[in-house]
Amino acid sequence: MQNDRLLAAAAVVVGIVLIVVGIVYFAEPAKSLPSFFPGHQAGSAHHHVKHGIAAVCVGLAAFVLAWFRTGPKRGAGATSPPPAP
Amino acid sequence: MILAALISYPRAIVLGLLQGVSELFPVSSLGHSVILPKLLGWNIHQNDSYFITFLVATHLATALVLVWFFRRDWAAILRGLGRSLRDREIAPDDHHAKLGWLLVVGTIPAGLLGLLLEHKLRSVFASPTSAAIFLTLNGLLLFGAEQLRRRAPQVDEEDDARIAAHVSWGKAFAVGAVQAVALIPGFSRSGATMGGGLLMGLSNKDAARFAFLLATPIIGAAALLKLPQLAGHQGDGVRGPALAGAVCSALTAYLAVRFLMRYFETRTLTPFAVYCFVAGLACTIGFAV
Repeated sequence: MQNDRLLAAAAVVVGIVLIVVGIVYFAEPAKSLPSFFPGHQAGSAHHHVKHGIAAVCVGLAAFVLAWFRTGPKRGAGATSPPPAP
Repeated sequence: MILAALISYPRAIVLGLLQGVSELFPVSSLGHSVILPKLLGWNIHQNDSYFITFLVATHLATALVLVWFFRRDWAAILRGLGRSLRDREIAPDDHHAKLGWLLVVGTIPAGLLGLLLEHKLRSVFASPTSAAIFLTLNGLLLFGAEQLRRRAPQVDEEDDARIAAHVSWGKAFAVGAVQAVALIPGFSRSGATMGGGLLMGLSNKDAARFAFLLATPIIGAAALLKLPQLAGHQGDGVRGPALAGAVCSALTAYLAVRFLMRYFETRTLTPFAVYCFVAGLACTIGFAV
């Protein structure tokens, strides 16, 4: 139970971070992205929309994981929810 | 117009017909779209923007055919996903919910690796010679998967239930990641996922079914994301041939998936492995001399 809560909390944090990362990808051109972001390119005005979509999707997946982990006590034999991506 | 001359209607029809078949047969559509123009002496390069725009239309058509063909499965899967979200658990007997989440788990690594590696891999391995070499290796991979496969137990469950019972979360993630090899022209996405399915203990039929279900979101999303290219100025001079190619691609994709789902009820990947190995080797030698 304790592990479930810890995992859910971690998934929520990861989800929030990834959605923020997605918004940064949507809002900022490649030249303005932090240098450790995939797709950063000096002088490029290109917006990495696909990277943003990917970050938001994985962020949502993290929220889904947290949603399952914090659900009501699972019945005997219920399948474990998906692992964190 | 130069663009229209580069991708004329006859060429668009040939490439569309080829795309529909080769996307679903485990023989690498990208590899064939690189090798065939070279064999026919067409001045088409796979990284040319007009050709990528053309491929967007044919891929979208293929994805739509897959959605239509498996429409009942997708409807059940979406209902299952909804049920599991509502109940906040995946009920042990809810095979469609389990299968739906397996597809989500498998799609995430494929999508991420595709985004991160697509451009680099296509740039590095753009030549027909490298595509021919990788097609040969694809044949070896398919053959290896058939040799190393675990025997699928004979059970009388429904198709989706069998898949959901056999595939674990980790395996779905791994098979999804393996799809990334299809970014290299010559390696097949469906071949990689079918091979992975066989290694997990699925039958040929179930492995093919899982491969097609897993491929649909990726092919569809990749095409949808690039659809603005087709609608924008990059589509000028290509839209007509692209539409013709898409219609042809849809036709052959439908026939291909229908054929393959029956074929894999009783047969194996071995003929495709032999074809890839022989065709890849012959092209490699032919391009070298």
